[in-house]
Order: sequence, then C-alpha cells, then structure tokens
Amino acid sequence: MKSRSMMRVITGLLLLGALALGGCTEVDNPQVSPNEPSSGGLVDAPKEWDGKTVSFTGEAIGEAMVRGDKAWVHLNDDAYYLKNVEEGAHLGGYNSGMAVWLDASFAREIRLFGDYKHEGDVVKVSGTFNAACAEHGGDMDIHATSLEVLTGGRDAQDPVKRGKAILAGILALIAGGLFILNRSWGSWGPDVQQG
Amino acid sequence: MILRPRKQDHLLIGKYTGKIVTGVGLLMVIPLITSMVFREWDTAVDFVISISACLIFGLGTQLVCRTERDLNWSHGLVVASGSWIVATLLGALPQWLSGHEGSYLDAMFDVMSGYTTTGLYLLQDLDHISHGLNMWRHLLTYAGGQGIVVIALTFLFKGTAGAYKVYVGEGKDERLLPNVVQTARAIWLVSLTWLVVGTAALFVTGLFLGQEPVRAFLHGLWVFMGAWSTGGFAPQSFNTFWFHSLTYEVLSVVIFIAGSLNFALHWALWTGNRREIRRNVEIVSFTVTLMVTTLIATFWLAKSGVYPDAMSLFRKVFYQLASGHTTTGFSTIYSKAFVTQWGPVGMIATTIAMAIGASACSTAGGTKGIRVGIITKAFLQDIRKMISPESAVVRAKFHHIRDIFLEDGLVRSALMITVAYLTMYVLTAFVGTLYGYPLVTSMFEAVSAGSNTGLSCGLTDPSMPDLMKVLYIFVMWLGRLEFMSVFALIGYAFSIVRGRA
Repeated sequence: MKSRSMMRVITGLLLLGALALGGCTEVDNPQVSPNEPSSGGLVDAPKEWDGKTVSFTGEAIGEAMVRGDKAWVHLNDDAYYLKNVEEGAHLGGYNSGMAVWLDASFAREIRLFGDYKHEGDVVKVSGTFNAACAEHGGDMDIHATSLEVLTGGRDAQDPVKRGKAILAGILALIAGGLFILNRSWGSWGPDVQQG
Repeated sequence: MILRPRKQDHLLIGKYTGKIVTGVGLLMVIPLITSMVFREWDTAVDFVISISACLIFGLGTQLVCRTERDLNWSHGLVVASGSWIVATLLGALPQWLSGHEGSYLDAMFDVMSGYTTTGLYLLQDLDHISHGLNMWRHLLTYAGGQGIVVIALTFLFKGTAGAYKVYVGEGKDERLLPNVVQTARAIWLVSLTWLVVGTAALFVTGLFLGQEPVRAFLHGLWVFMGAWSTGGFAPQSFNTFWFHSLTYEVLSVVIFIAGSLNFALHWALWTGNRREIRRNVEIVSFTVTLMVTTLIATFWLAKSGVYPDAMSLFRKVFYQLASGHTTTGFSTIYSKAFVTQWGPVGMIATTIAMAIGASACSTAGGTKGIRVGIITKAFLQDIRKMISPESAVVRAKFHHIRDIFLEDGLVRSALMITVAYLTMYVLTAFVGTLYGYPLVTSMFEAVSAGSNTGLSCGLTDPSMPDLMKVLYIFVMWLGRLEFMSVFALIGYAFSIVRGRA
C-alpha cells in the first residue's frame, strides 16, 4: 500500500514536471528573412540555384577574415538580423545564414559585426551562388561582386537585472554559510555514521 | 529477493553525489572569470546564481549525509548515473538564465549533450551569446569527455577503493596506474598537454586565417575542447565551416581522432610503447570501418555529382565521416545538406559510422571499435572452427595493450552491449517515425544522439516535440554511461519502492 502511494506521488510529480516543461516558451518569432530565396531556401534547393546570381541581405556576424585581397564574411538572415535576444528579440529558432567570398575592400566597409555586445551592420550583397564551390573545397557560398551597407550596426545592451542580482547575493550568502558550517562540523556536530 | 536500501546506502550515495555536484559548481568559476574579464556582467550574475545553487546542493548534501563507509559496486554505479542527472539539472541554470533557451527542458538538453560529448543543441541565436556562456558550453563538453566523475576523483576524492567503482560507473574501466585517483590524474595530464599544444596550433592558424588575436585564441581553445572531447560544440552556428580552411580542418581531424583513442593507448604511447598504435584492435577496427564507410559515401556522392572535383569530394566526405565515426559531430556542411545533397546512401554510410563510434575508455561514444573487433574475431574463429578438423583446437586472440585470448564470456559481453546499443538506436528512430519524420532522417538523428555524435540532418530543432527532446536526453545519457549505471539507478529507485526491508 505504502509503495503504491509512493508510485502515485512519483507519477504525479513526473506529470507536473512534464506540464511545466511543456508549458514553457515556444519558438515564436514573426521576423522573416528579407531574402528570396532565403539561406534556408538555398540549402533546401541547392541544385536549383547553383551558378545563379542572387541578392542576399543579412547581418554581418563575427568578423571578416581577410585572405590577401579577398575576404570571408558571414551574413545571417535569421530571426535576429535586426534585433538580437539580448535586446529583447523573441526566440525564433537557430541562426541561419550564408558564407560570402568578396573583395577585402568590400569587407572593410563593414563597421560592426554581430556578437554578444553588438548587433552587426545589415548589408546586401549580389553575386553567384555555389552549391559546392570548386575554388573552396566544395563549400556552399556566394561569390559577391557588390556590397551595400543598408543599416549601421550598434552596441547591444544587456544590463544586469535587479532581481537576478539580489537572488545571486542571497544564494551566495547561503552557499558561504554552508561552506563554513561544513568546515567547522567536526568541532560541534555529532559523530559520523560508521556503518 | 530485492532488498530495500538502508539509511546508510542513502547517506553514502548522497555524500558522493554531493561531492561531484560541488565539483560542477567549482568548474563554473572558469566561465564566471571569463565573463568578468570581458565585462559581461549579466552573464557573470547568472554564473554566481548557478555556482551558489551547485554549492548549496553539494555542501548541503555532504552536511546531511555524513558517513565514513566506502562504496560498493552498486553504490558506485548509482552515484555515477545519479550525479549526472543532478549535474544536468543544476548545470542547465546558466543556459536557461541567458534567455537563449526556449524552456528549461531545452537548457537541460544542451547540458546533457555537453556532458555526454554529443554536440546537439537547442540554444537559439548562438551567434550572439556571451563569451562566458560559450566558455561554459565548451568546458562542459571538455569536462564531460574526461568524465565529471574523473574531475571529482582528481580534486575532491581521497583515494578510496570505492572511488574506482564510481569511475567504472561513468563508462571507463581502464586502470592506467595502480591507484584510481592516480589514473584520473594521468588522464588529466594527457588531456591538458594536448590542450596546450592543440590550442596553440589552432590559435596560430586562426591568426593566419585573418582572425583577431582574442577571437583566434578563444576559437582555438573552444574548437580544441569540442574536438578533443569529441563533443562537436563550436562557437559559431556555422560550426567548423566558419573557418573555410583546409589547415584548420586537418588540425581538428588530428585532435578529434586523438581524442577518440582509448586513454590506455594514450598512456602506452606516453610511456614509450609506440608499436601499440599499429597492433591495437581498436585502431585496426576503426581504420577498416572508417575506410569502408568513406568509400561508400564517396562512391555515391561521386555518382550523384554533388562536388565539382575529386579533392572537394574527398575533403567533404572524409571530414564528415571521420567526425561521425569518432562521434565528434563537427561539420563543414549545412545540416540539411545531408538530406538535400548527400541523399539516403550518404546518410546511411554516416549513420553506420556514428553507430560504431570510436574507442572504449575515451571521450567518444557509440558501440565502440573494440566490440566490433571482438565480434568480428569471434565470427572468423567460428568459421575457422567449421572448416578445421573436428579434433583441432582453434583459439583466437586480439591485441589491446597486451594479447588477450578470446573467451566466450568476453564475446557474450561484447554482443550484449552491442545488441543493447542497436535496440536503443532502433527504438529511438521508431519514435521519430511515429512523429512523422522519414525513416532515414529519424535513424540518422537517433543514432547521432545515442552514440553521442551530434551530427544533425535538421531533425533536432527547438520546435521538435518535447517527448523527443526527453527521449534524446535519455539516450544521450544511456549511451554515454553504457547502460549499466543507468540500469543500476533504475534498480535502486525500484528497490526503494518494492524492496523488502
């Protein structure tokens, strides 16, 4: 009888847990790619677009990797290309974008690249889409012949939330107290169980 | 008759679980310092909360569960599997507090994926996360590769005999040195030496590729951690495709193949036994199966004309296959390209490579090369028996550090675990097909999760059904701990409810 009631409690807890987890935030971001085809569309139908000239707009991410007079940049056309999570954007799935091979002089026109502290410049490139580029070991990329900076990037603020800071202070105090208690146990606690 | 565990058993399990969770909390100090160095204050607060939560649990448990008894085998297995659950629950706090996860379940998925060195993730907007959180993701996978129990053994356990039982419970059974704590430290010695050399090589390459020094260093460190642990996490959503460099690819292949080797083999090489690399059954098995699967995929992709020349074809196929076979999960193609470019044969070849996996007692997952080697040898031995005269005594042996005769018990054990892995792969894939995913896609992703690989063909996604997320968390855990520890934990829970007092 006792074991049956325990099973019920465990089942109840598991159900509550499942409901709590299932009821959390779902992926929901209305922002859509500015491109036709989008990066997702290019990956879904690479043969269809292979060798064709495409225009691609996206947020410059990370860095420009300059190699001689050419450079690699990565443009994301995902749910965060105008506003990222730190700035309050809704979650909208994974990042998605395209690798772009262009003149280093074009790459130098990009002032800010997106990362935790920055929303990168939004740029538009035009060039040839390669489903498996012969020049670059079979990479899927765009060889761009023009670049235009549409919107300048900006600093992305992520201030400390007051509630979190208070919680951190309280928990750190409790952890510190437990540490002292644990260290000094021998001098005042009961003897340990010897089995 | 199943006996209900006594209070002493609970105290013992609580005490050692507390120690391991304390170790996880202390590990978070590294990303906390990273956040402070880069002035990511909100992330730093997230880590203070998470460290405190781990310490409260860890120290509180050790305070309540005071005992001097040593662990027996079942305790060791329960501590190993149980501490992974608690470490996942609490280790998910930084991810969840960052606001980049759709739910706490997603955060737990990512942390279990990290500990188990799988590399699948549900974190969203990876390209905008802080350096502190990225450090935590990669540290998780680096620490998980060595084993979180190994960490605790190194720093927090005094050399008890029972410590070996927790170590084995985490899926490792090689005792490199007489004392298990010394073994754990030897694992760290090898890993940290590789960390310094590997990070330096990737850092210098990154500089030549046009990266800023700080980014080149952080990317070098994180890619090393992802490669060595065969974890597959990378700092950008483009994964290793980000670098567009043959040199970077070659370096990462060297590191993840080294990471996928048995620690006993590393130790043999470390102590001067270089012949071992040519004779070891795991190396032979890995080389043969990697070559066969690579040939299948190459043949198919050459036929379908996806890649423009032989060099591109070999570079792409070898990288994805080696990454899959070592259960790393690094990729230089888009996830969906497995479906849209590689097609069913390419995907099946990759699935087979992932299912086999690499070496036992390494950071890698999968069925393991040694079992494939043993089963193959046993099969050949049976054929030899059939064609030999009845009076002939046919014996077979294999080489793993030393020559070992093939005994029935050894073959049965290898077959049993292999069947368990195959059953897990099939059942997980079956659930995927019930949700409407195509069979090849479901199988690819199920094997990737169960073998702790982390390559994805697009099924794993933040919007996938919650039940599949829970299932993948379970199979990642099951695959990493090689079943026994998890069964011991389930048995322990059952005996609490049903056991006799």
